[in-house]
Amino acid sequence: MAENGIYGGCKESLQHVLDDLKGKIKQYSSEEKKKTGIKLVEHLIARIKEEDSMREKCRRRGLPETPDSALRELYDAIGIRVVCAFRDDIYRNVELIRSFPGVQVVNEKDYVKNVKPNGYRSYHMILLVEAPYTDIDGNNPGKFYAEIQLRTIAMDSWAALEHQLKYKKNISNTELIVSELKRCADEMASTDVSMQTIRDLIREDN
Amino acid sequence: MKLLLAEDEKELARALAAVITLQGYDVIQVFDGEQASAELSEHVFDVAVLDIMMPKKDGMQVLREMRAAGDNTPVLMLTAKAEVENRVEGLDAGANDYLTKPFAMKELLARIRVLTRDTEKTQGPLVFGNVKLDIEKQELSCTNSIRLASKEAELMTFFMRNPGKELSTQTIFEHIWKDDKDVTEEVVWMYVSFLRKKLESVSADVFITGEKNGSFILVQE
Repeated sequence: MAENGIYGGCKESLQHVLDDLKGKIKQYSSEEKKKTGIKLVEHLIARIKEEDSMREKCRRRGLPETPDSALRELYDAIGIRVVCAFRDDIYRNVELIRSFPGVQVVNEKDYVKNVKPNGYRSYHMILLVEAPYTDIDGNNPGKFYAEIQLRTIAMDSWAALEHQLKYKKNISNTELIVSELKRCADEMASTDVSMQTIRDLIREDN
Repeated sequence: MKLLLAEDEKELARALAAVITLQGYDVIQVFDGEQASAELSEHVFDVAVLDIMMPKKDGMQVLREMRAAGDNTPVLMLTAKAEVENRVEGLDAGANDYLTKPFAMKELLARIRVLTRDTEKTQGPLVFGNVKLDIEKQELSCTNSIRLASKEAELMTFFMRNPGKELSTQTIFEHIWKDDKDVTEEVVWMYVSFLRKKLESVSADVFITGEKNGSFILVQE
């Protein structure tokens, strides 16, 4: 078991599932572009969670460091981030992802509408994907969890900065930084909404 | 609440200070115009009571200088002169109110309350439906919060002070953009659109009805 790592020899399957999801997103994105002229996806980041950070997450959650924890208790071994230019594009992406065949949305959290107290905004989806690859139970087609995060460019750069704060120790004026970060989040959200409004006004006129 | 009292008649000044202090104001007393100017330029007051006839510099001069320096502290003038001309001169020089000696103490206190009422009103957040507008922070909040640009905040303040009232594009334009020569009434629709989306983004239960170039009303669901 140890030589198979935290994913119990399923890493290849995970990589295939990840590539398939990425491919599907790219496909609808280019179709939508042809149809409406809107570029729904600005960047697409896809990764299999590193062995070390998956083990660390198991420990943090009080779970044994086993493939079962990594693939059945936690859902982000397969992770995709969809970064959009405009706020409404998030919801269009969500709609299209929801319609993927063989994909079941098991959980969704709209932190764009229900913003976290620190100012974090993002749309999270947990998918259960059925795909023609062997999963840890030995089934083929197997079942795989994947997490998709969707956000605007502004939300993404904010989250990157907030992430740095989380992992940096002994910052002297944490309280001030936290409250200023919150202010920035609200200002960036304001700009996102204004940009969306302007795009809508331009399209109404044409 | 901090109040500057500039009155050179010692007896009267002492009596006024005692009564005003009793009402909970923090009273700073001065006895001539030069001291009054010095206090006003160094400290912030919520209201100033200035006698016109004072040694060294008269109250009118103190008032003109502070207004010229951009100090908008509310000012109540006191004078023995009852002439209409004097009252008009004082008000035109930037006084907010005027009281002729002799006056009843009750009336002086009531007028001070009027002058401080406005500043109290602008400080607290405005609330309508489940929406709160913090004017100072330009923050609109409900289930979450969002920042407003300065003109958006002014427009939202206007709506929240007049909920349920029909506000025409022209009324809004004249109220918010009266000093702005570079924009036309078109700007109203754009800013109403901004506010609509921002209200929606904080999941507000209030919204702005109306159409482009028409009248708008802030209503609750």
